[in-house]
This record gives sequence, structure tokens and C-alpha cells, in this order.
Amino acid sequence: MESVGETVFIPARTGRRVRRQIIDRVLVLALTALAFASVATVLGIIGFIILKGLPAISLSFLTSPPREGMSAGGIYPMIRGSVLLMLGTLVLVLPLGVLGGVFLAEYAGRSTLSRLLHASIASLAGTPSVIFGLFGLAVFVLMMNMGVSLLAGCLTLALFTLPAVVFTTENAIRSVPESFIEAGLALGLSRWQLMWKVVLPNALPGILTGIVLSTGRAAGEAPPILLTAGIYYATGDLPRGWDILKQPVANLPYHLAEGYRQGGVIPEAIVWGTCLTLMLFVLLINMWAIIVRTRVRRKQAW
Amino acid sequence: MRWLGRLFEAGVYVTGITVSLVVLVMFYYVAREARYAFGDTFAWGFRLALLPADSSDDMSPGSAPYTTLVTVNAEGSDGLDEHEEIVPAPSVSSVEGEMMLTTAATLVSDITDIRADRLYRDEWRALKTTQQGDQFLVLGYATPRYQQKTMVLAWEPDSGFDPTLSPYRLVLRLVRAPHGVDVQPFDIDLKRQPSGRITLPAWVARTDAERSNGYVFEIQATPHRSAFWATLRGIFSTEWAPTLMYPRYGVLPLLIATTLMSVLAMLFATPLAVATALYLSEIAQPRLREWLKPALELIASVPSVVLGYFGLMFVAPSLQNWLGQALGMESGRNLLTTSVMLAVLAIPIVASVTEDVLKTVPESLRESAMALGLTRGEMLWKVLLPAARSGIMAAVLIGAARVYGETMIVWILSGGTASMPSLSSLQDVSRVLVGSTRGVPDTIAIEMGNVAFESVHYGHLFLLGVFLFAATVLVNLTALYIGRKQVWRV
Repeated sequence: MESVGETVFIPARTGRRVRRQIIDRVLVLALTALAFASVATVLGIIGFIILKGLPAISLSFLTSPPREGMSAGGIYPMIRGSVLLMLGTLVLVLPLGVLGGVFLAEYAGRSTLSRLLHASIASLAGTPSVIFGLFGLAVFVLMMNMGVSLLAGCLTLALFTLPAVVFTTENAIRSVPESFIEAGLALGLSRWQLMWKVVLPNALPGILTGIVLSTGRAAGEAPPILLTAGIYYATGDLPRGWDILKQPVANLPYHLAEGYRQGGVIPEAIVWGTCLTLMLFVLLINMWAIIVRTRVRRKQAW
Repeated sequence: MRWLGRLFEAGVYVTGITVSLVVLVMFYYVAREARYAFGDTFAWGFRLALLPADSSDDMSPGSAPYTTLVTVNAEGSDGLDEHEEIVPAPSVSSVEGEMMLTTAATLVSDITDIRADRLYRDEWRALKTTQQGDQFLVLGYATPRYQQKTMVLAWEPDSGFDPTLSPYRLVLRLVRAPHGVDVQPFDIDLKRQPSGRITLPAWVARTDAERSNGYVFEIQATPHRSAFWATLRGIFSTEWAPTLMYPRYGVLPLLIATTLMSVLAMLFATPLAVATALYLSEIAQPRLREWLKPALELIASVPSVVLGYFGLMFVAPSLQNWLGQALGMESGRNLLTTSVMLAVLAIPIVASVTEDVLKTVPESLRESAMALGLTRGEMLWKVLLPAARSGIMAAVLIGAARVYGETMIVWILSGGTASMPSLSSLQDVSRVLVGSTRGVPDTIAIEMGNVAFESVHYGHLFLLGVFLFAATVLVNLTALYIGRKQVWRV
């Protein structure tokens, strides 16, 4: 048993302790360096695109249509198309996603079945965006005869954002404190009254920011739009009224993807300008949502 | 008010169940469209030529001047009707040079209908179903200047056509020998012997009218294997070339390339992402963390098209400059560049999920480690990482699934050549790394733009979608499963 006593005392030897501390310092330093390297890389990319794109951006670039076979002019139709797509997606995903989230949080329970439902939605969340494009093409565009149109694109993007909206809604509802619900129950509220008057109002900020975050991400995805809603040659002559829904729509990610396919028709400056506009479009939406969320969380520090 | 409540609850149940079924519905429809891949038409074609008996072995039907191509493919019109477009067979007097032997397509399938004034160089026919099969008659003769006693019939598949993948039994036979020529009839299985040569006694056509009395060969395709199995074999072959005259739909090169670039990207991304997460959750000051975590989320939302363009304009030329010489890079658009940008895409995702995982490790584990006198580094390395191991693995898998299905970065940066990567030697590996490649998701997105809806090619693109879908669902479910196991709960 002497050897046991020895091992206990070895760490106390100063040489070893110093070495351990050096290793510790080095490890912490390395982690810090790696973390900053990865954050810096990605921030660097954002900075690079801002630097490259900024010279191209002007008021007329953002508000005029392209000219001369896309080789000059602005990108107004694409911006308008992206906004339309995002709004349509928002409207479609809102009821589905929120009701789905309520179901998971409050009605599905904790059974094996609910675990299966969770797994199913998680699989949907991890499905590549191009698969949604394929599905949209097969079902909305061809089977339902919508053609390549804004409506088909919005439906496809709504499916794409659905799992994220369901999960954020579920989390927002679950984070409403138990005491609120108990208070409601004590007042004799029925389950749906509790839902409608206590849970949903308190979860609302979380739900809304979640929806905005996920539709923002969808607005930057090219593959679903590529197969269901995009058009390359956009002019100033844009469809109006309800007709909009049946027409294909020019939009920012599609413009970049198709511009690459056409190979060098769009001058580099306009490409960078479009990249920056798309990135800012998505980042600003997200930044707004993140700020709102942080503020709400601070206010709701139950 | 009560009916409103009922309505609300009914809505919740209906939507909840619908939403949960979406993934199954999607899988069903994507798989259903893949049925078009199993169309039952297959293109095929052979070249036949008569060669002088003393011709060298490297003379092939492809290089002989008077060769006959018989083919059934998507571009073929039915040769029996539209022969205006087809070149007439040379007349006996016009055959020049050293090749004094010719073959000619007859455009008929009945041997009694052969007419000397209707002979053509080649014969192209439209696709028919595998159940019908097809059959060509080809005439062969020598011209009067040919002096040798024998001549050689040579055959080979048309370039790009692989007889072993075809669902037909393909046979070359001698149906009629010219009058007065004594020759053993032959019947060759073209699948076993796709190309070859056979020596025949020479027969000379003295006049143009006599040409129709020469040797008559037949190439016949009869249904053999089911079209389904032939398609399946084609899918698991090693070449993807859907726009060729004899299209190849082998998905293996695409699947392997996508897997390769995802694995490589995760090798780059995992250490950086885990380090970032460890720093955020264990080392950073709370104030800094409050800023960095949202920044990370923000970064994860940079559209991948933009990342692709950044890779194209900045990373590709830089890598080309640094490593171009050393690795023999021909273009900055290659597998390595693609993996690097995919890693950039994956880092924020993996880091964010890993950070969430680390947050769930109970404080008691950290405290006990510290109480035992471990340094912070030892605590991270020996306690925290092992405790969070399964969660971190789940995070890496989630990132891998995202990278595996990423379309735009691969589209813009991969270079676009679908070829079977060979990894047998170190040199090959480096060639694959710096070589142009092409993955599954980008192929779907690129080619769906110029494909006829509900064609065989369209079906194969959906089939690629099925593979991609299945792979990502599998990876995600694995992540979900192992992420649920938490070591400290044992």
C-alpha cells in the first residue's frame, strides 16, 4: 500500500506542478487563439464582401432595373422579389409553424409517439434545401400545375422554414414559467384559455423572432428557388396585383446562382453589389431579431 | 367561446400531426418522381467494317473509312422513313484508296426487301421500348480492285456505349452468304465479345446492282434482362454523363465526391469549432460571451451563395498562388477549395450546437474536478470533453449533414467534372484533392435547369435526391440518438 501513498504526493512536487500549469496556460491560450481565429475568419469574410460590394451600391443601383441584358443597371426587381418571397413565406409558415409548436410543447406529451414526432421534424430540419426544391418542383410546380411561380416558391420556402419555426415556438412555450401556468390553472382556466391568454402572449416575442430568423435564412437560400420560382431576365416591367403570385419572380440568390451559370455576363462590380445586398438583407433581419430577443429575455428575467 | 376552444385544439392536433408527417410526404413524392429513371428505353449502337485481310490489328472499325454505324438512340429518327438525311453508301466505282471493302446499311429488316438502290452508310433509329428490341441488316462486299482471297469483318461498340450495361441480348450473326461462297455461319454474343474480328472469304460486287447480293449480317437486340435491373446496374456504375448519346447515370462518382468533401470539411471544421465552443462556454468572460454567441449565430446565416462567391474570388486564387505549384493545381476551383469553404460554413453551426451541449454538462462535474486539484486545462480535457463527448459527436454530425447537402458552394467551387476518384496511391490522392470534382446536390440543381420534365434524366436527378435525402436523414437521426445519451446520467 506504500505505492498508493506515493501517488498521492507526486502532484505536490513543484517541478510537476509548474509543468502542469504551463501546459494549462498553453492549452487555454491555444483554445483562445483557435476561437478567435474562427470568429475572425468569418468576420473577415463579411468584411471582405462589404469592402468589395460597397463601391457598387448606390441609390440608383438599389432602385432601378437591370439594363443591357443584365450587364448594367440596378437590381431593384431582385430585391423586390426577395422581399415578396420572404413575406409570402412568413404568411404561410406562421399558422402552421406556431400551431405545430404548440402541439409539440403542450399536447404531444412525453410519450414514445412524441419522441417519434420530434425525430421526424428534426429530420426535416436537417434536410438539404435542394431536396425541398425537388419536392416543390414535383408537387407544386408540376403536379398542382402552379408552374414556376412566386406561389410555388413561397410554399417551398415555407416548408423549408417550417421545422425551425416549430422548434423555436416549442422552446418559447416551454420557457414560459411553470408558475404562470399554475396561477392560470388556479384561476380555473381551461387548457385552451390558458394557452390563448397566458402561454401564447408570454411566448410571443420568442416565437416572432424565431420566425423572422428562420425566414431570413430562407431568403438567402438559392436551391429551392432555383427549381420552383426563379427567373433570370428581369426588366422594369413587373407584374402587379394578384397576378404576381402566378408569375416567376427574380430574386437575389437566384440572380447570383443563375449569373454564375451564365458565366461572366454580369460584371464583377454588380456581382459584389448583389452579394452585399443579399448578405445585408439577411444579416440585418437576423440582427434585428437577435437584438429584440436579447432585450425581451432581459425584460422577462423571471 | 367553448366552440372556439374546440376549434383551436382541433387545429393544433391536425397541424401538429401534419407537420410531423411532412418529412414522410416529401420522401414519398421525391421517391415517386424517381420512377421516371426506370424508363424502359435504352440506346445502343455498333460499328461494323470490312477490312483487308492484311490490315494491322490496330485498325479498328472506328478508324476505317467505309464503316457502318447502326444505332438506336434518342437523336435517331426512324431511318426507314427519313433517309434523306442519311449518306448513301458509296457506289462500286467511287470507292478509292487502299480500302476497297465497304459495308452498307439496308434500312430494312426483311432480307427479301434489300434493294441495291437503297443502301446507306449509317442507320440511326429512334428509341423503342426494351420489350420490342430492334434489328439491323448490314450488307458487306468488296470492290473489283480488291485482290486478296479473304477479308475481315470487324465490329466494336459505338464510342460511349457499354454493351454490358444494356438490358438486351445483343447478337451479331451472318444471315446470308453470297451465292457460291462456302462459309461457316456464325452467331456472336456481343456482350461477351463486344469487339472483335472474323475472317471471311472475299466476295466482290462487280456492279452497283450486284451489291445487294453480298454478305448480309444482322445485329439483333432482343429483350434479355428486365429494364429495371439494367437501370439499377447503370445507377451503380462509375460514370455520370447524362447528356451523351448513350447516357450514363452512374451515381457513384458523385456520391463519393460529396462524401469526400464533407469528410474533409469536417476534419478542418471540427477542431476549430470545438475550440470556439470551449472558449465561449468555459473561458470567455460573460460580457464577451454575450456578444460572441449572437455574432456566431449571425455568421451562420451568411447565405451560402455569398460564401461560394467569396471562395471563387478570394480563396480559389489564393490557394492557387500558395499551393498551385506544389500540388500541381490546374485551377483554384477544386475539391480542396470546396472543402475549405464548406468548413467555413460548418464552423458556426458546430460551434453553436457544441456550446449548447457544454452548457448542459452539470456544474457539479466542473466543481468536483477543481476540488480534486485539476488545473482548468485538465478539467476541460479530462472531465468536460469526455462528459460531453456524445453531444459533441452529435454536433459534428449535424454540421456534416448540413455540409453534405450544401449546394451553392459546391456548385461554384467544385469545378464541375464528374469523375471516379481513385485513391490507390499518395499521388492519386493529391490529384483528387486538387482536381475538379462534382457532388450530388449541385448536380441536381445545375442539371434540373436544362432537363425535359419527366424524362429518364429527370428521374435520375430525383433518384440522386432520394440518396441525398436518405443519407442526411440517417445522419440526423444518428445525431439525435447519440446526442440523447448523456454520460453523467449513468
